[in-house]
Amino acid sequence: MAAADTMFGESLKEFGAFDFNACYNCGTCTAVCSLSDEQNSFPREMVRFSVLGLRDDIHSSVKPWLCYYCGQCSTHCPQDAKPAELMMSLRRYLTSVYDWTGLGRKLYTSKAWEFGSIAILALLILVLFLFLHGPMTTELTDQGGVKLNTFAPWKQVEIGDWIMAGMLSFFLLSNIFNMYLKIVRKNKGLKIPIKLWFTELYNLIVHFATQKQFSKCDTLGTGKKFTFSSYWIIHWFLMSSYVIMFIMIVFFLGWFQTDNIYHWTHPQRLFGYYATAGLLTGVVWFFVARFRKSDEKSKHSHITDWTFLVLLFLTTVTGILVQIFRINGMPYPTYYTYVIHLMVLFPMLMIEVPFSKWSHLAYRPFAIYFDRVVQAAKKIK
Amino acid sequence: MAEKIFKDSFDALVIGGGIAGGEAALNLANNGFRVILVEKDLSIGGKMIHLSKVFPTLDCSACITTPKVSEISRHPSITILTGSEVKKIVKRGKNDFEAMVIKHPRYVREEDCTGCQLCEQACPVVVNDQYQYDMVGRKAAYIPFSIASPRVAAIDIENCTLCGACEKACPTKCIDFTQEATEYQLSLRSVIIATGFNLFDPLKIERFGYGKMKNVITSMQMERLLAPTRPYNTVLRPGDGKMPCRLAYVLCTGSRDITVGNPICSQICCMYSIKQAQLLMGALPMADVTIYYINIRSFGKGFEEFYDQAKGMGVNFVKGKIGMISEKEDGDLILRYEDINDNVVKEASHDMVILSVGVVSNPDNAAFFDSGQLRLDPFEFVCQTDLLASPARTSIGGVFVAGTASGPMDIPDSILSAGAASSEAMSYIIRK
Repeated sequence: MAAADTMFGESLKEFGAFDFNACYNCGTCTAVCSLSDEQNSFPREMVRFSVLGLRDDIHSSVKPWLCYYCGQCSTHCPQDAKPAELMMSLRRYLTSVYDWTGLGRKLYTSKAWEFGSIAILALLILVLFLFLHGPMTTELTDQGGVKLNTFAPWKQVEIGDWIMAGMLSFFLLSNIFNMYLKIVRKNKGLKIPIKLWFTELYNLIVHFATQKQFSKCDTLGTGKKFTFSSYWIIHWFLMSSYVIMFIMIVFFLGWFQTDNIYHWTHPQRLFGYYATAGLLTGVVWFFVARFRKSDEKSKHSHITDWTFLVLLFLTTVTGILVQIFRINGMPYPTYYTYVIHLMVLFPMLMIEVPFSKWSHLAYRPFAIYFDRVVQAAKKIK
Repeated sequence: MAEKIFKDSFDALVIGGGIAGGEAALNLANNGFRVILVEKDLSIGGKMIHLSKVFPTLDCSACITTPKVSEISRHPSITILTGSEVKKIVKRGKNDFEAMVIKHPRYVREEDCTGCQLCEQACPVVVNDQYQYDMVGRKAAYIPFSIASPRVAAIDIENCTLCGACEKACPTKCIDFTQEATEYQLSLRSVIIATGFNLFDPLKIERFGYGKMKNVITSMQMERLLAPTRPYNTVLRPGDGKMPCRLAYVLCTGSRDITVGNPICSQICCMYSIKQAQLLMGALPMADVTIYYINIRSFGKGFEEFYDQAKGMGVNFVKGKIGMISEKEDGDLILRYEDINDNVVKEASHDMVILSVGVVSNPDNAAFFDSGQLRLDPFEFVCQTDLLASPARTSIGGVFVAGTASGPMDIPDSILSAGAASSEAMSYIIRK
């Protein structure tokens, strides 16, 4: 028998939750949720767990990751308990729970930690450049572009890249393993045949690539299975842009960070255009939505939501500027902007990917994957 | 605007001729005071006269109301103005009120009408019958309903084509299209507000499909379907006239719901739904009745036993509020809800859905006095300034409140409250 922990709600409020204690358990939220089904009914159960402070039940639940925040539950909640925002807060909370280092919690609940770590990581990049940068030549290439690779040889940058990617993977994968322990291993006595991990693997890939659950958001009553809302489209555009950009800078830096000025039809430029367009559109769209509080999901912004958007925006803009300055043969602006670009990019990835908002990119598909495996295993039993 | 002006004086003005207003008027009159009872509708009797039976005794509602109504109508000390509205009340001093009342033209001379209904037969215009809650039609020349008091015809001038057929058919020549509004200037010594409540308008909750899905009706419509003077003479669903066999009640429609601006409990819906469920078990012996609830509030005397009785009769109680209703091609309805006991979202198919609509305040109250004089509570019911010691008292000395004008309550409580209001009014009048 679990003991109620009434103080839990207070700690959850640091992650953005509102007065979910107002809930009187009518279940309207669950009934108006398009994503709720017989296997996974939410959000009322999560509200109940939160009110009672049943940490173990929350930690082992995949439900927060199945919610894509259409906001219908908050709109129709007769007690104004804002269940959708609670689900959002639980996602933030779970991110900090999966994170075994404890950094996630600090970054979510303390502004000093959040902005302090950004500053320290940015300074680290600055110091590295101060000591290690190559000659700041004003000489231009034959095509009239800046010799960026003389200032910051891609091979050296790539070493840093690999160190960063290594750290990101280490933290994120260990957090996912922690998530696995909490969600899958919680089912004591449940035998999961190894085969299931492979047969259900397509779920991970499909849900990562399409986010089709997101497109099911708010379809109840429309008679449609999927709606490709502007939200889904913009979010997918942003996600795919980010993935392309990440792959280019981590795996193909030598090809991407080139001193050549290619024709605009060259894949290097086309991928670059696609990714920057996606990042810019997404960031501006979410900025405007959060600023105007135009719908339920944009009404409540945690400080980390803004930090994420600002960092992503600055990264994108400085990245575009580097390209413009380089092509137009402006050496000093190119060098300075490049350093600033990395000073924003590095803290953004280091903080957001394993410890904060961006980790949902991994946790959402993994939650579905783990859930399907467990469900399938239970069925066999 | 009014051509004729009448002046008169009374001991008390009772606003509203429902069960609370009627009871208060009777108490005053039986104690020798002269009372004027002003009713906005064409008949006195309020909402109770339209009900089927009452909880928790299952007594016939009309059988309690009609004797009372006829007693009020025949009482020598009570003057009744139906189809009339109180426009303004001014307190000039202690024991001294002045009120202006407008009696709207009925286009029928009440004293001459015999209620023979020949005008009704002659009238060619058919419109929705508001007294059967729009489930059947009525004529533009009509007797409001069979047990109306006064049981005299009225012309619905908004819909009348002025064809004159009713005038020709009327044996007593009592139809008079030249009637105009009459103004009453009244001198009074006290006022009782018994304006009652309004039913929540379910069109405000689109998810429940009322108005779009024909087999989704309100509890008041079901009340009519079950009443002795019912429109179809049996319980049929309005979409296709099929006899329903899987009925569902959606409790808390427009009550305890911040999103519609009414966060309070309406106090009567649980019990009237349980009552209707029991009546349906009798009217449709093969039917399944399910009541979807958040909490069953059976707090009054005999209520819990009444709830148990319903469970014993086989009424199905499911904890979980309906989130959404959708319609199938055959007119059946799919109700989506979370079964709170199982923590699982479920869908259930029913062939008729009854929305247990809540109680909201009557906005008329605010307009009687100069702005702000009559204090209202946050939900716009009349504020009881001394709720515990003197529950009928309002923010104006000499003005008392009876029944649901002060908040949601059931019939026994309304009658008790009318007793309190009338006794307080009497002592106010006598004290001088």
